[in-house]
Amino acid sequence: MKRALLLLALLAACERPQGILLWHAYNGAEKDALEETAATWNAAHPDHPLQLVAVPYGAFADKLTSAIPGGNGPDLFIYPQDRIGDWATAGVIEPIEFWVDDARADAFVPAATSAMVHEGSLYGLPLATKSLALFYRTDLVANPPTTTDELLALTPAMRQRAGYAVAYANADLYGHAPWLHGFGGHVLAADGTVDIATPEAARAMEFARSLVVAGAAPAQAEGPLVATLFNEGKAATVISGPWFVADIADGVPWAVATLPKVSATGEWASPFLGAEAVLMSARAKDKDLAFEAMAALTSDASAIVRAKRARQVVPNLAAYNDPAVKSDKVLAAFRAQLAHTVPMPTAPAMRMVWTPYKTALVEILAGRAQPADTVQSVEREVESYLTGPR
Amino acid sequence: MRRHLRDFGLGALAAFIIVTVAFVAFRNHDLVERQTRAANAVVSDALGGRTAMPGSRAVFVSRATPSTKHSFLRRRSMAPAGGPLVWRPLAPGSDPDAKLLYDTATRLDRAAASSGSRTTPARIVELVPDGSGRAIAADHAADHIVIAITAPASPAPYPWVVMLGVFGLGAALTAAGALVDRTASPSGAATSGAPPVGVAWPARLGTFAGIGVLAIPTILWGSVVAATLIVIIAAGLAFAQHRNLTDRFIHGVREHRTALGFLGPAAISMLVLVAAPFVIGLFIGFYDHHHGSWTFVGLSNFGELLSGGGRALDDPLNFWFIVGVTVLWTVVNVTFHVVLGVLLALLLTRPWLRAKGMWRMLFIVPWAVPNYITALIWKGMFEGEYGAINSLLDLAGLDGVTWFGSWIASFSANVITNTWLGFPFMLVVAIGALESIPKEQYEAAAVDGASAWQRFRHITLPYLRPALGPAIVLGSIWTFNMFNVIHLVSGGAPGGSTNTLVTDAYRWAFDRGERYGMAAAEGTLIFLILLLWNVFGKRLVRAKGATE
Amino acid sequence: MKRRGPSPLGQILVYLGLIIACAIILYPVMIVLKKAFEPGRQFALSASPVPSSVTLDHFRELFSQRSATGELMFLRGALNSIVISLATTVVGVALSCTAAYALSRFKFPGRKAGLTSFLVVQMFPSTLLLMPLYVILNGLGLLNSTIGLVLVYSTTAIPFCVWTLKGYFDSLPAELEEAARIDGASQWMIFRKIMLPLSRPAIAVTALFSFMTAWNEFILASTFMTDQSKYTLPVLIQSTVTEFSADWGLFAAGAVITSLPVMIAFYVLQKYLVGGITAGAVKG
Repeated sequence: MKRALLLLALLAACERPQGILLWHAYNGAEKDALEETAATWNAAHPDHPLQLVAVPYGAFADKLTSAIPGGNGPDLFIYPQDRIGDWATAGVIEPIEFWVDDARADAFVPAATSAMVHEGSLYGLPLATKSLALFYRTDLVANPPTTTDELLALTPAMRQRAGYAVAYANADLYGHAPWLHGFGGHVLAADGTVDIATPEAARAMEFARSLVVAGAAPAQAEGPLVATLFNEGKAATVISGPWFVADIADGVPWAVATLPKVSATGEWASPFLGAEAVLMSARAKDKDLAFEAMAALTSDASAIVRAKRARQVVPNLAAYNDPAVKSDKVLAAFRAQLAHTVPMPTAPAMRMVWTPYKTALVEILAGRAQPADTVQSVEREVESYLTGPR
Repeated sequence: MRRHLRDFGLGALAAFIIVTVAFVAFRNHDLVERQTRAANAVVSDALGGRTAMPGSRAVFVSRATPSTKHSFLRRRSMAPAGGPLVWRPLAPGSDPDAKLLYDTATRLDRAAASSGSRTTPARIVELVPDGSGRAIAADHAADHIVIAITAPASPAPYPWVVMLGVFGLGAALTAAGALVDRTASPSGAATSGAPPVGVAWPARLGTFAGIGVLAIPTILWGSVVAATLIVIIAAGLAFAQHRNLTDRFIHGVREHRTALGFLGPAAISMLVLVAAPFVIGLFIGFYDHHHGSWTFVGLSNFGELLSGGGRALDDPLNFWFIVGVTVLWTVVNVTFHVVLGVLLALLLTRPWLRAKGMWRMLFIVPWAVPNYITALIWKGMFEGEYGAINSLLDLAGLDGVTWFGSWIASFSANVITNTWLGFPFMLVVAIGALESIPKEQYEAAAVDGASAWQRFRHITLPYLRPALGPAIVLGSIWTFNMFNVIHLVSGGAPGGSTNTLVTDAYRWAFDRGERYGMAAAEGTLIFLILLLWNVFGKRLVRAKGATE
Repeated sequence: MKRRGPSPLGQILVYLGLIIACAIILYPVMIVLKKAFEPGRQFALSASPVPSSVTLDHFRELFSQRSATGELMFLRGALNSIVISLATTVVGVALSCTAAYALSRFKFPGRKAGLTSFLVVQMFPSTLLLMPLYVILNGLGLLNSTIGLVLVYSTTAIPFCVWTLKGYFDSLPAELEEAARIDGASQWMIFRKIMLPLSRPAIAVTALFSFMTAWNEFILASTFMTDQSKYTLPVLIQSTVTEFSADWGLFAAGAVITSLPVMIAFYVLQKYLVGGITAGAVKG
């Protein structure tokens, strides 16, 4: 009996995982690149393997918020930075600036690291950046347009082919953001308060509507339609992110450029800069070790692998010295676009803006509402969600 | 005597659960109290220059020096309290608790910054969240921060001896009461034929005292609620003995034990996996969850919903508007399901029809393919200028429709998708009902010269009704709560106006700042609406059936 | 009843009507089939249900995907789905048969309440029970476990199955059991040897419904399973659809494969389906 108990105890002790558990929502090339990085770590640390688990994106955030407080979650996870504010306040993620020194922070593009900061503490290291740029078909467009007027000038030729000058996900704030920022508008003011009902925002909405009216853009498009239009030659240009490359069909001649300037204001159309971060759970078992893994995943060497293999627009400055990365046209274009981006706010208020804004855009693009009134109603709706219990 | 001990056993079981729960609550609370008091004392000692108690440590942490290049990187140093101040950098590896000290110092500074200079910044005192049972306290000193960490501790162990003793005492008291009862009234025992006589007061007093004794530990642990509950149980049990309820209950269980045995497994799993989550959901409805913290708000969530949130009646965020949409959604869908199902069933039960099996198989396909897949496909078909539906309309020479642009188009898109998904169920029910109609009835009717419509009305319909009745009830409940179609197809467009109650609740939980309390409250209201509809619906049907 | 039926023209019209109805109803399914065999990650703009070119690439990619540990994800997922669905079927049918038998044949206090409670329970919106269920399963230590998921699925299927089975049991005459009881058989033996064999149609319906509930379920599976090797097929298919881009070809291929077992089960159990659901309601 005693021997059985001892054996059981031994077994229980052996079962305790010594490794680091990491959750991610990647598939395809990004998953392969991540696995390659993990393999490098595992080779160097055979006693503390990095265990990757792919979680479907739709359920990811909910699984995290339920699992981590119960002690069932991962040690590290990869997620866009927009929930950092929420999670930091709720105590789900761990502040990591303790382990970070100037040298490490210098390795990244400043906009990427500042996206990981909430209330003065750093919560993650950036893995990849996502923004929008201008994809164009080289057989339909000789030189990429550098201003919105040049973009609109493509319309007549495209109309003859029953197509559009530009196709983009216009009914969503994320796709609309380049115009919003290009006209000088924003969603949150510098101090984090909601500042949607501005004349600049209204002008940006009018502009988006004018594109539809002029036949330069489809009335309402989302990712799959945008890709189909581009592939079938019915869209000269597309505003989309690095993920779009996988959607381009074989045989379509294409290139990437930075987004044009808004002719009315002379400002660059600036999309949101989203950063994907490696974040540490507040209940991670061995936090020092977890940070080492975090550092390895975001190191320059790993960045080069991910840039080459998955075409991730990595925030590591040194990665762009690598010849293979430097010569990649997609990475170069998005790297250039980084200079004209607006970091996605991490304040919890940001999360409640998406749905009302999307509803408003749908109405505007269909011509059923006026921008001036609509921005007011969006701001009112967001404020009502923020007030909480009365 | 045996029955008294049996009754004691019943009450003791309930009391045992309560006592254990009270203990668990107590011991966590007790641990926090002990440790935080200790941490507080150590910090005060360090601030006053006295030495810390053994096992605990006090540390001075310097102010933060932000890096010139990155404002979120700060350097601090630490020195042990008591003795000469020797500062060393607070960096990884310098101390096993280095990060804990660093993070706590950061939090203290942040709390001080947000409270401003009006009030003295509060001390931080709490348990370290690593499960070791240590407590940490931090406070500002002149120009640095004092942090104290206590030794680890574990919560008090389960007091088995106390529990055994108390239960033994309780059983003894009950037995004593029973003995007194027997010696007082000699004949006590009832014959097998006569109903059992109510228990006399000495025995009842014994039972009451026996269980009441179990409340003593809970009083010691400071849980008035638990103690009150146990006393209530004790009184209740004594009362039950007076009315022979316990006997009757045990008798009933024994009499129906086969039935309960058959029902048991399903009932238990339903209780644990359906009823319990529902009760929890019900309670969550009384709280508000805002930015990670839960506050009790009583009926405020329900009030906010039922008052329409202070919005106009045609505003999609007004609860009553959504109720209207949901009811319309249910009625329209079920009508289409039944009509389509019955029509097709009539066709598919014609005796002269060939390849019945194949036809039925084909028409059941919508039911077989997973509905989250088909909902996404339908959404794609309705989408924009190039969706398949608009392309087909185009081929037919008709104008395309912006399906998610107007309420009526968006609602219709949802209805079309849900009808497609739901009619096979009614089809199968109708086929079953139609197949069971005896052929002779039709032949007799044909001989009598009845028209097709008369045959349908007087023969077919009476057979269809009892089968379709329950199917409609079930189908309408499922449709009322249908989430996938609305969420994946229209997503509530335009502007949330095609949301039904279920999708609106989902939005409260995930789109509007994780207000789980509101979502739970809406879920409870959904349940109540369906319950009320069912109860009144049955009364209506019964009344109509009585008058016919 | 005229055996001949309506005139040949009438018959042709009916068949025509059925063909048209079939085409309309099966159109979305044909679109999925088309996408599964047509190359490219997006849906084509054309509305025709015929693929412009046929390729097996999507299926090939679906079957060859490997997880980080090197095992074939799709086969693993299929195995998980099969195990969980079959287990749910067995447990669900077992629980429902016994409960329905009790509700049908015995009279005991609380019987009516029990009956209505099975109906009432259907009224809880299940999407909102997700979080409390998570907490409960966590407390029972059944998170990320096949057993936990099987229990939850079986419990979800119970109300409908009990309703169906009870209706069917009610329609069976009680004399058979009387005779057996006089002969001295125990209740359990009567249940096993007389009721169950007679109730094949209803049991087939119950089994099919339980199987379908487990096989097609996505939300609970994706929330409760944290181990990638425990994912079921719906979870795997949904992971081809991410926030920014979706591989619809892969999705469609997965959808086709996932729908096959249920269709086959439907075809095999067809004749029972028709009799099982309604017999009780009609005769009772």
